[in-house]
Amino acid sequence: MITQYIFYFFAALLIIAAGMVVTVRNPVHAALFLVLAFFSTSAVWLMLEAEFLAIVLILVYVGAVMVLFLFVVMMLDINLVPMREGFARFLPVGIIIALLMAIAMGSVFTAIYFNGAHLDVVTPTATDVNNSRELGKLLFTEYLYPFEIAGAILLVAIVAAISLTLRTGRSKKTQDPSAQVSVKRADRVRMVKMKSEKKSG
Amino acid sequence: MITLGQVLILAAILFCISVAGIFINRKNVIILLMCIELMLLSVNMNFIAFSHFLHDMAGQIFVFFILTVAAAESAIGLAILVVLFRNRNTINVEELGTLKG
Amino acid sequence: MLPQIQLVIPELVLLCLASIALVLDTYSTSKNKVLTFRFVQISLLIVIALIFVVSPDTQEYAFNNHFISDPMSVVLKLVICIISLVVFFYSYEYLKEHENVKGEYFVLGLFAVLGMMIMSSAASLLTIYLGLELLSLSLYSMIAMHKDSLTASEAAMKYFVLGALASGMLLYGISMLYGVTGVLDLQGISSFANAGVDADMNIMLVFGLVFIVVGIAFKLGAVPFHMWVPDIYEGSPTAVTLFISTAPKIAAFAMTIRLLSDGLQDLLSDWQGMLIILSLLSMAVGNIIAISQTNIKRMLAYSTIAHVGFFLLGIISGTASGYAGSMFYIIVYAIMSMGSFGMIIFLGKKGYEADQLDDFKGLAKRSPWYAFIMLILMFSMAGIPPLIGFWAKWFVIKEVVAMGYVWLAAVAVVFSVIGAFYYLRIIKLMYFDEPDEMLAIKASRELRLVLSVNGMVILILGFIPGALMALCLSALS
Repeated sequence: MITQYIFYFFAALLIIAAGMVVTVRNPVHAALFLVLAFFSTSAVWLMLEAEFLAIVLILVYVGAVMVLFLFVVMMLDINLVPMREGFARFLPVGIIIALLMAIAMGSVFTAIYFNGAHLDVVTPTATDVNNSRELGKLLFTEYLYPFEIAGAILLVAIVAAISLTLRTGRSKKTQDPSAQVSVKRADRVRMVKMKSEKKSG
Repeated sequence: MITLGQVLILAAILFCISVAGIFINRKNVIILLMCIELMLLSVNMNFIAFSHFLHDMAGQIFVFFILTVAAAESAIGLAILVVLFRNRNTINVEELGTLKG
Repeated sequence: MLPQIQLVIPELVLLCLASIALVLDTYSTSKNKVLTFRFVQISLLIVIALIFVVSPDTQEYAFNNHFISDPMSVVLKLVICIISLVVFFYSYEYLKEHENVKGEYFVLGLFAVLGMMIMSSAASLLTIYLGLELLSLSLYSMIAMHKDSLTASEAAMKYFVLGALASGMLLYGISMLYGVTGVLDLQGISSFANAGVDADMNIMLVFGLVFIVVGIAFKLGAVPFHMWVPDIYEGSPTAVTLFISTAPKIAAFAMTIRLLSDGLQDLLSDWQGMLIILSLLSMAVGNIIAISQTNIKRMLAYSTIAHVGFFLLGIISGTASGYAGSMFYIIVYAIMSMGSFGMIIFLGKKGYEADQLDDFKGLAKRSPWYAFIMLILMFSMAGIPPLIGFWAKWFVIKEVVAMGYVWLAAVAVVFSVIGAFYYLRIIKLMYFDEPDEMLAIKASRELRLVLSVNGMVILILGFIPGALMALCLSALS
């Protein structure tokens, strides 16, 4: 029974955090709520015996991806005022869409829920089974081909991210102090010899 | 014990919130990216629930790959965002009026 | 293990060559990156040769049912590589003229081709997803690669957000399929659905199917999930628009067939209805809105939407010959689209994109031969016999009639007549209007040659549609 309550607690936390992510105005707050959402998800996953992924979610997502988000948000120094506009205008549409989808999806799942098609209680996996080892074994045998493709995807991400954000050549608009200091008078001032003009009486 | 239906409904609620978020935050690209992360999170929740109740590791393997791809995706998304910001000095989609939408 | 590796040699070699191209690019110091470009072209030629040599004629699975090599995948891979080869050539001409060429552009292009090849021979939900992401991520960054262009970065952002949304939908559907069947390979899903399922399971399957169809529709750009198409076509540099509108469409066909036919053929009656709605809306919206466009890239975008509507007709029929008709349609569309965007590149010059309809005014007086090529392209797009575009429409409509959807065929014919209007307008502009300025067209000899060949291919294929159709039929039997 206690697991039930723990699940409800983290589920509620997850839903509240997700709701805050989509409604708060400040992107930094949104990112922090997203971190909360990831933490509560991770707890739910632990209860579903996906230990390795629960930990990876924290390490990779909270540790790397969310830090990247925060980094970009702060680096870009985004003007927040215009972001507030239009929020009220889109809010009803958003809520209506969410409710419609929730009703549609809910009706499908509650049918299963009450019919008890999948309600079979699962016996917990034996304690000597190592989740990470099982995943690793599969990954390097049965799922070798997808694993290689994932490698190619990461390579594309590296190439794209670097070549997109690297600034070279003419798109750079910075001062070069050494060039400014070493400027000679001859570079800037041109001496022009010309006849003195006659004073017209 | 947790039942499959409960987890699926939790994932469905999360999915609805993220879709609504995409509609509400049409103007703010950063929050749009976060909504996409939430959406993938709900899909992952589905996979892990099925994997647990079917006693089958394939679902967890799929989540592993989704996490990998999503990390790559957000890296590229943020890189595009930076390029966009350098060009426009804004990430407000409404001000991006060059294209009609 | 060894025979398995033999099957994936083309993909493996392409991956290696793309990595080598990446390294080679740092040594390519010339402004035009000739070295990288030539290497990329040679890589594609090597891969084409390898596909010819190593592909078996039979259906074979490898890597625990993640990879399939069948006649369809071989034909699609060949077409994708050949089209990409020509597209990269056009892109290079464009980039050389308009800005500094970036080597990464072509490297990412190779990765996109790899993604499309993986999609073509995907036999599990996981490989379909990974191939799709490899393709999409490369495309997003290829658009954004034009860093100084305002519209390009905007288009990249829009494409990214909507593409990620589409992937999310697709994944949700995939997770439902997995939940019901408990397997990830399409063969297993197919046999599960074939064995018959109880009502509860069936609801779940159809529920997942809805999300999968939405995901596919997003990726294809079918109405009502088409919002991104016009903006991305117009905003992206013509070099990338050209790429997006050709080879990835063929990969999208592969994805559709793999998911709907290889995996869920038994749910035919469920997805047929959804596709009919998508197809009708696409044909209507695409053809009608295209009429009011003044930007030719935007016009071609709506024309793409309309063509997707026609392409779906073949899938709707749900038979092998119907799928072959769709395959024929999408290959022909890719060739025509390649020529049309090639034409825009041909007319453009430094700092100027010939993307307004008015740029085609009086082309017949400036250059009669290229006006003729454009005439062939537009007639073919409009579906006027005996050009190849007519045969493409003919085959899919014939299949739909054979399945008893006569009303759908009639609607398709009506919309194709409406659609003919805006193609003919371009021809009127070219032949009956005076040019604004009698500037000579400045384009390299290679570009002229390739564009002419492209136009001739459309003309010649129109007289021998049977050969291509036989190829498509053999690929799907």
